[in-house]
Amino acid sequence: MAFWPKKKTVRASSVCDPQASPYAVFEGVGLTVGRKRILEDLTLSLAEDRVGVIGLNGSGKSSFVRLLNGLRSPDTGSLSLFGAPSREAEPELPRHVGFVFQNPDHQAIFPTVEEEIAFGLTQLGADKAESRSRARAFLAEHGFEALAGAPIAELSEGQKQFVCILAVLVMEPRLLVLDEPMTSLDAFSMRRLRRKLLALPQKIVMISHDLDHFRGFDRVLWLEEGRLRMDGRPEEVLAAYQGDVDVRLAEDMEAAAI
Amino acid sequence: MIPVYLPLDSWAHRVPAGFKLVILALSSVLLFQVVSVWVAAGAFLTVLLAYASLGRAGLEQLRLLKALKLFAAVLLIVNWYNGAVMDGVFAVLRLLTMVLAANFVSVTTRMDDMLAAIGPVFVPFRWIGLSERKPALGVTLVLRFVPCLLQVFGALREAYRARTGKSSSWRLIGPLGIQSLRMSDHVAEALAARGGAEGLARFTALAGATGRSERVSKRRNDGI
Repeated sequence: MAFWPKKKTVRASSVCDPQASPYAVFEGVGLTVGRKRILEDLTLSLAEDRVGVIGLNGSGKSSFVRLLNGLRSPDTGSLSLFGAPSREAEPELPRHVGFVFQNPDHQAIFPTVEEEIAFGLTQLGADKAESRSRARAFLAEHGFEALAGAPIAELSEGQKQFVCILAVLVMEPRLLVLDEPMTSLDAFSMRRLRRKLLALPQKIVMISHDLDHFRGFDRVLWLEEGRLRMDGRPEEVLAAYQGDVDVRLAEDMEAAAI
Repeated sequence: MIPVYLPLDSWAHRVPAGFKLVILALSSVLLFQVVSVWVAAGAFLTVLLAYASLGRAGLEQLRLLKALKLFAAVLLIVNWYNGAVMDGVFAVLRLLTMVLAANFVSVTTRMDDMLAAIGPVFVPFRWIGLSERKPALGVTLVLRFVPCLLQVFGALREAYRARTGKSSSWRLIGPLGIQSLRMSDHVAEALAARGGAEGLARFTALAGATGRSERVSKRRNDGI
């Protein structure tokens, strides 16, 4: 009889191949959260460098991107990430997929900039002293040296979001997933962040409501009520989406007039 | 939720994290052995002086007392109803002293220092095959997020005042519970997104910057 929980078997071997292309293959993937069906019958594969995700509120965008780093797992269909079935890949995914949350306040765990960056390095196995010095060097590389000791709570929204992105990038992921990263940024911070993102070597999947943010992207996915409504070149998908929003608005105004 | 930290270079920041935690633990045990209300009042005063020694930023932290007003009032009323006002005063002094002292340690200690100080306590876990990192992280998060809970309560009070004109109400206890659960959800998700409490060290030895072929051959070498 054991008086403590059994030790989980530590899998020392890696099942993911960070260089896999496509890095994500969805086949009939569906997801239910609570009693709500969030995603239904998604079939697509992702290999492009810059992929955008659009859709109205509640269309399943956030849940969709959460599948990519194992924060959610599909309950129907099959999903393969970096060449491995998602269930097997899940424990390892945070190593290859950096996830940037919409609200930096929900992402930052540590009080100061340097600790937040260093945390990713300790997660990868570095000790405290090493991760601290590497975090400082990484911040200096990105021009954030002066803010190393600063409390994150006292930074501007733009700086907070950038710190959150750096905290993920320091782990050198292959894919960067961003869930509406520019929502609370002013025009200047927004454009600066966009420029920096486009210059990154990582593959990117990004949700945004501002369609301008997808300039320079290779592909855009349009989700509607948990299904893939359209998938293709940004100019085509964005135009169709814009047209759909216009139609909805016209209908809404008509309904209000009656 | 981003934990609060005072970026100063004070005496309190220079005291080792482990020492501060031991003093905090000892004083909370001792405070419950104290029988004289004057000693309890002295302890409260000492904590106030500690904040004052940090200067203006330290004194600003005493805004916490506002958030604790409601709890203090409930304690006093219950004891008054039972005919033991002095017991109530005693309980309030203890509560305020301990919350302020815990907050003092929290805002003057870096979280990674705190984690490093708490880690060794759980080393025996390793002897029975469990990870010591998990409970250490748990304890650190609790200590760090106490001031955050008080911040959440402050925000709720503000929202309540904006719509009712009253400063506080027992009705806020429910929403405070819900908001704290939401906060812990966010922290849990943020932690999971970066590899969870166990970390990713077990994968980095093999994955890292190496290519597939190299890893496959390594795996073969490991007999997998």
